[in-house]
Amino acid sequence: MTEAEECAPDDSLSRAIAGESAGFAMLVRSHQRSVYSLALRMLSDRHKAQDLAQEVFLQLHRSLAVIESYAHLSFWLRKVTVNRAIDRLRREPKYETVRLEENLNLVSDARERDPLLQRRLRELVGRLPPAPRGVMLLRFQEDLDPLEIARILDMPPNTVKSHLKRSLAILREQVTAFMGPDGTPSEPGPSFTKRDQ
Amino acid sequence: MSNNLDDELRRALRPVDPGEEFAQRVVARIARDSTVSRRHAIARYQWLPAALAASVVLGFLTTHDWRMRHEQQGLEARKELLEALRVTGAKLDLAYRVLNDEARVSANGISGA
Repeated sequence: MTEAEECAPDDSLSRAIAGESAGFAMLVRSHQRSVYSLALRMLSDRHKAQDLAQEVFLQLHRSLAVIESYAHLSFWLRKVTVNRAIDRLRREPKYETVRLEENLNLVSDARERDPLLQRRLRELVGRLPPAPRGVMLLRFQEDLDPLEIARILDMPPNTVKSHLKRSLAILREQVTAFMGPDGTPSEPGPSFTKRDQ
Repeated sequence: MSNNLDDELRRALRPVDPGEEFAQRVVARIARDSTVSRRHAIARYQWLPAALAASVVLGFLTTHDWRMRHEQQGLEARKELLEALRVTGAKLDLAYRVLNDEARVSANGISGA
């Protein structure tokens, strides 16, 4: 059993706050999957995701004094990761959307029932505008409910629900086309306007 | 289809790990950044001892100048006071002499009559 596994979550937080780098490393290890995956699916680029995830943890290290509890830590990390990713995407001249295919080796798994469908779903999520993409990831990757997502993204709950509804409609239509007899995706049906981005 | 799509999305968006060495890289970057920022802080405050020394010297010179001026003003005031006393003494002396002369004149007038 590693040191990280022996240590209770709250213990690693208090050790990190006390300035122990081993305690902070434990915090990073316990949250790196969530932070990195959010960054990866938001930015669709492995290197940018690594960079963003590192920046988030650097910011955490500087902000440890404001972290009140282990639950607050998870909330803080998700909020900072998604908001930083949205800011970065909005600064870029054009959204990069299809690079997840390059990272397929990272996300493939023996447990996947239909690797092609799942790859297609990741691609489609990666093509959503930044804010709806963040909403979808917090809902389906982090398994949060719309109210929690609204708190993290500082959005009205109805906006979150509307993003979810519209994103799911887009995905459903695209997936239905993808699973058709010829296996080729159709042209976009429902879509987000510039205002939603 | 709805639940099916939700399940497929959850499977497709399963979290992935950034790799074994990610935490080590973060900790190393924190250490590097804190060393750099410490160096910047040292460079930023390198002028501080010289500025402190200059302040002390300036303070000393200002105090010294103030004391010299103060002493000079005291000496001048003393000189003026002595001058005023001397003038007053001379005036009193003159008045005394005038009074004496007048007394003497009136005494001579009485004895002559």
